[in-house]
Amino acid sequence: MKNNKLKILILAIVLRVLVAGFLFHPDIKTYNFQASFLKKGVINIYSYLKENKSTLPLKDEFVYFPLTYFVVGGYQTLVSGLLGSGFDSWLSDAGSNSVVKNAGIFKYLTVLKLPYLFLDILVAFLLMKYFKDKKMGEKVAAIWLFNPFTIVLIYVYSNIDMYAVLLTLAAFLYVKRNKLLQASMFLGIASCFKLYPMLFIPFLFLKGKDLKEKISVCLIPIFILGIVVAPFWSPAFVQSALVSGLTTRIFSPGFTIGFGESIIVGLFLLSALFFYGWLFDKEVDLFNYWVMFLLLIFSFSHFHIVWLLWVAPFIVILAVKKPSLSLPLFLWASLAMAIPLFYQDRSMTISLFRVYTTWYDLLPTPFVVLQKFFDPYNFQSIVHSTLAGGTLVMAYKIFKKEGGE
Amino acid sequence: MKKIIWATTLSISFLLFVLPGILASTLDMVPANDQPGYNGSKRLSIYGERQFSQKFISRDKNLTAIGTSIKNPNLKNKQEIIFNLYGKDKVLIRTAALNGFNIGDGDFVKFVFQSVPDSGGKEYSFTISSPAAGPGEMLEVFIIEPTPDIIDYFYEEETHPGGIPLVTFHKPNSKLELIKTVYFNWFSRLLSPGSQKI
Repeated sequence: MKNNKLKILILAIVLRVLVAGFLFHPDIKTYNFQASFLKKGVINIYSYLKENKSTLPLKDEFVYFPLTYFVVGGYQTLVSGLLGSGFDSWLSDAGSNSVVKNAGIFKYLTVLKLPYLFLDILVAFLLMKYFKDKKMGEKVAAIWLFNPFTIVLIYVYSNIDMYAVLLTLAAFLYVKRNKLLQASMFLGIASCFKLYPMLFIPFLFLKGKDLKEKISVCLIPIFILGIVVAPFWSPAFVQSALVSGLTTRIFSPGFTIGFGESIIVGLFLLSALFFYGWLFDKEVDLFNYWVMFLLLIFSFSHFHIVWLLWVAPFIVILAVKKPSLSLPLFLWASLAMAIPLFYQDRSMTISLFRVYTTWYDLLPTPFVVLQKFFDPYNFQSIVHSTLAGGTLVMAYKIFKKEGGE
Repeated sequence: MKKIIWATTLSISFLLFVLPGILASTLDMVPANDQPGYNGSKRLSIYGERQFSQKFISRDKNLTAIGTSIKNPNLKNKQEIIFNLYGKDKVLIRTAALNGFNIGDGDFVKFVFQSVPDSGGKEYSFTISSPAAGPGEMLEVFIIEPTPDIIDYFYEEETHPGGIPLVTFHKPNSKLELIKTVYFNWFSRLLSPGSQKI
């Protein structure tokens, strides 16, 4: 039995390593190029990139938060011996063809994505810890390790959000044990990688026993984020990371109510859930709120495919907790993954295979193929609307008091 | 659980080992080379009577398209762009036409024509013109130094060494051969001596 489990774990690792080495999203090279300046002693990457933009081969801004820079840069320094002498010139190579034709790319991608493998296995371990029942724990870990969605999200798109996802899940496990202060600390650290865990704070407020705890759990993450961010606070940081398209897309205006005002759908939904929990829910189960909020965000905003990882561990827990939802959740995940694949962005689909051959540059994207017989934007809207409808019904099912399950 | 493990293993294996072959099978042509680099400092305009002509060598057989980067400043050109391919003794062998309406400023543009079967290693010349365009609707091509394939160009009654940074495209002999080439190149890079050494 133990031998069998080991074999399954090895299979899960082999699948991940293969995907890591063979499929290439250019983001991993961009943020590793930027993080490589840590080896050269650069501490404030935001202002460094702005000041040296004209002389750098890659001109992109560093859109992530400071801990990402230090963790990615620190790891790179640690494994520089493994990566070899050609690695730095590969990182700074701006030629789109020469980058993928470099025979070292398989090694570079595999080594650069290894931390994700470690975090990924750790997530499986934390998911097991969520359930007291051993069988349910094994089931949730197996679903996490063997579903194509998370493998693609983590290893194909080189998902840097993995750090925040792991820390958010750890925070949630502390919530489950009613250790809200520890949970808020983990959310604070997670926010130093990516800002989205901050969105869970209002729900921690709901869970606080008394006003003192409610205020503490709100202030701790903000304080941690403030301490980490303060040394980097500059116009360059604000422009690149704080108000970057990725950070603010959730809060982009939804529909206008006249005279320049708009209702921001993401914030509207967050607020509605918060007030529902405050005014109606006598026993707030934070799991329901966190998972529901994320499902709603993806249903009502234009999202980046890598963001889907934020909700993935919670969906897997939900599928095990409520088996009747497992198939609808599978459908939900399939629809959610399908939407970004039809964005007009080659790096979402065809370009991922450029390591095999650059001849694929001649192939049209799914967007262009669909355009020949149907409006791709209309198609995206149809799929997104279906997703939103499904989310609303699942919200009813999730919040409906136990008894039907 | 067994079903989930099998389904995931098969779907990931499909993604990594089968899908690249399927994608390759949909290719109608393949490039013979990467586009040579150009810095954009030397450009020539094309409009009205002012046409561009160049000699080049086709690296492979079944020549079916010529691609290069073209500037369409302010997207003003919405006129027809004519590409003529000439063989030995200036005999017109192929023609292709595009509309400037579909060309962005700096786009990589392909002139596609019926394949020329025995084109491997042979010298050809071509002209690019936009006869209906006025000076305000000019297109621009980039000029680079000569390479083994790019010989010389003729512009405003004068011949100069070099030409535009072009890519020749060739129709594959068979889909199976094409798929084999993709997998072979991939494996040979993966297994190239020392490349994966840690």
